[in-house]
Amino acid sequence: MNRFVTKDFLSGLMFVAFGLAALYFGQHLAVGTPVRMGPGYVPRMLSLILLALGAVVCIVALVSGSEPVERPKWKPITLVTLGIVCFGLLFERAGLIPALVVLVMISSLAGEEFKLTEVIGNIVVLSILCTIVFKVGLGMNIAIVQGIW
Amino acid sequence: MARRGRAGAALSISAVGSFFAGTVGTIIIVIFAEPLTQMAQKFGPADYCSLMALGLVAAVVLASGSITKAISMVFLGLLFGLIGTDVNTGAQRFTFDIPELSDGIDFAPIAMGLFGIAEIVVNLERHLERGGAIKVGSLWPTREEIRRSIPAILRGTFLGSMLGVLPGGGPTLGAFSAYTLEKKLSKNPGEFGKGAVEGVASPEAANNAAAQTSFIPMLTLGIPSNAVMALMVGAMIIQGIQPGPEVMTKKPDLFWGMIVSMWIGNAMLVIINLPMIGMWVKLLTVPYRYLAPAILLFCCIGAYSLQNSTFHVMQVAIFGVLGYVFVKLGCEGAPFLLGLVLGPQMEEYFRRAMLLSRGDAMVFIERPISLGLLITTALLLVLMALPSIKKAREEAFQEEG
Repeated sequence: MNRFVTKDFLSGLMFVAFGLAALYFGQHLAVGTPVRMGPGYVPRMLSLILLALGAVVCIVALVSGSEPVERPKWKPITLVTLGIVCFGLLFERAGLIPALVVLVMISSLAGEEFKLTEVIGNIVVLSILCTIVFKVGLGMNIAIVQGIW
Repeated sequence: MARRGRAGAALSISAVGSFFAGTVGTIIIVIFAEPLTQMAQKFGPADYCSLMALGLVAAVVLASGSITKAISMVFLGLLFGLIGTDVNTGAQRFTFDIPELSDGIDFAPIAMGLFGIAEIVVNLERHLERGGAIKVGSLWPTREEIRRSIPAILRGTFLGSMLGVLPGGGPTLGAFSAYTLEKKLSKNPGEFGKGAVEGVASPEAANNAAAQTSFIPMLTLGIPSNAVMALMVGAMIIQGIQPGPEVMTKKPDLFWGMIVSMWIGNAMLVIINLPMIGMWVKLLTVPYRYLAPAILLFCCIGAYSLQNSTFHVMQVAIFGVLGYVFVKLGCEGAPFLLGLVLGPQMEEYFRRAMLLSRGDAMVFIERPISLGLLITTALLLVLMALPSIKKAREEAFQEEG
């Protein structure tokens, strides 16, 4: 088990996976000949090289060992990603301020300390700052709150 | 030096040293840009392709950890660079019928995700807390400190300028080599890390000189030599400028304007920074729990503003996750980024070269420029695999970490 959960072995697997995915999704592209290369020639070549390199990384990792992967903490990465996705979904539909509030709230939860008063203070400062800089200063064509401003 | 209450003096010496080195670096660009540009115009497609290969391999030298992994990251980057419409045939490649992807994958959201978001997440995991207040102390260095730092600044400038031009070189390499050099030259190396002024002056100068001269390969040949230059290429492409020898011949005002702006930037650094050092130090004490959401927010708004599309915000999220995986697996983002930036150009030159030679791959060996570049590339690869160099490289990264 530990032999396989190492940084090098898993990255090798990742390269192999990307190589296979590129081969699979690129299979409809015409390869052509070296003189008249089709759109698929270079992708095919690169995926095959990546596959080979990935395999080498895997084998070397198994033979000579490598560092174990640190246990990932799921909270920060999940919450930060969720925050960005929510921002993306809300930004055009609801406007800058609602998206900002949601993003700052969610990403503040990702840290170890969470004090509501501090987060609210942060939100207020950032809202004012962003409104002044992006809407007034740079004149970006964005809605601060959709339908109102 | 900060712990001895001489942080102010250290900062002002490094600011002045940086300014001097930046000026020298700018002059070097002015001198070398023209002949290099003329040389670059003799380059054929095959030569360009080999030059890019050299640049990519050189980038691997800088990545810490396994070389095979770094090379794989380059190829992964090249592969990601292919996403979009094929230039020659108009075929859609890896776009999954997403219209936003047909123009190719945008560079800025990827950089934000890979470096920005992943960095924030990793810092949040480690529960980063910044140290307390730092005493800045007097800004004026003592006469003794000035006397000792002048030769150090000169050495650092020279070393940095040399290393900056090399593909794969750049500020970090310059700074670390300069530090090592000073430590070797010093009569009492034990002082280093405990307040030796040379240890501040020389690397700072080298850092800045290298930051300037690393523009040379990008401006004249269109090849970024490190991740920062890759970002610059991305920024220029967003502005509709294709970096390369044409920039200088077709848009001389832009080219020289940029060089002047570099020098002004260096001057501003001294003028603005010196009086405001106290404020910057205070800024460093802002707790991370305030900073992290703010950085995220600016990344998101920045990504959106590229093309007024929330698709780019989603891209930031996706590449944030990918960047996090890279960090966890010990894969470097910089080679990936370089591959990504160079990918489309490299494919174009490769295909053009093969078309001109009627499908004969020998063209890469028959042209003298291309052959020379390929031999250099191969030499670099062999050198890196040699045990002694491998060890030295590992040590260099040990010191950095």
